[in-house]
Amino acid sequence: MDWQGQKLSEMLMQVMLVAFAVGAFGTGYALGSFQTMLLVYAGGVVLTTLVTVPNWPFYNRHPLKWLDPAEAERHPRPKPQPAAPSKKKPVKSHQK
Amino acid sequence: MHSFGYRVNALVTFAVTILAMLCAMASLSDNLNVPSPTAEVEVLNINWFQRQPNGNDEVSLTMNISANLQTVFTWNTKQVFVFVAAEYETPQNSLNQVSLWDGIILSKDSATFSIHTTNKYRFIDQGSNLRGKDVNLTLHWHVMPKTGKMFADRIVMAGYRLPEEYR
Repeated sequence: MDWQGQKLSEMLMQVMLVAFAVGAFGTGYALGSFQTMLLVYAGGVVLTTLVTVPNWPFYNRHPLKWLDPAEAERHPRPKPQPAAPSKKKPVKSHQK
Repeated sequence: MHSFGYRVNALVTFAVTILAMLCAMASLSDNLNVPSPTAEVEVLNINWFQRQPNGNDEVSLTMNISANLQTVFTWNTKQVFVFVAAEYETPQNSLNQVSLWDGIILSKDSATFSIHTTNKYRFIDQGSNLRGKDVNLTLHWHVMPKTGKMFADRIVMAGYRLPEEYR
């Protein structure tokens, strides 16, 4: 799962769960049945699990493009500069 | 969200949080219900009324208890506990409550009832105060919800007076 896929999956998970919760409360209250509310919500949780937990192909539409190793060797990483002498005085520890 | 386990964890956590909020909403929705219950307790007969050897008064009553508690039920109601108490005042205590009968109502359909019964629990005063006593026969009920807050209320039926003499 790529970066865009992770973002999409998290957003889908939150939106779907909230939507199912609202729908479940509405149906349950309208029908006067607590059990209906729980069943609708449980169905929503299962559906959301199936949609957002497995690594479906549509979560992998933005693969990261790594540089070719040969290309990387042509532009070597700049060597770290030799450490300049520190202008700060070394902090003396005040031990008693 | 980069692995199967992380996604399952996030989903379950969020789902349970929302479930708790749903239950809280269901409990809050009980406040929208305005019940209008009715109840009547009629004393048909005094089977006996005597002073026990230890000095306490005891009465045995035959009653007709009828009530309609259907409006107490909401979609979030699991059951309703209902009891009839005799309430009276004595010089020692401003409120005495003696439970005479109780019951559990499991569904809205059985919330309308009319029961002909003697007192299920003994009506004994701790003392000898019952002769000629004004007694409120009170129907109490406690609503037990599926989730959330419990409610309790009562209907007081005043105006019953025990006889002046033992019989």
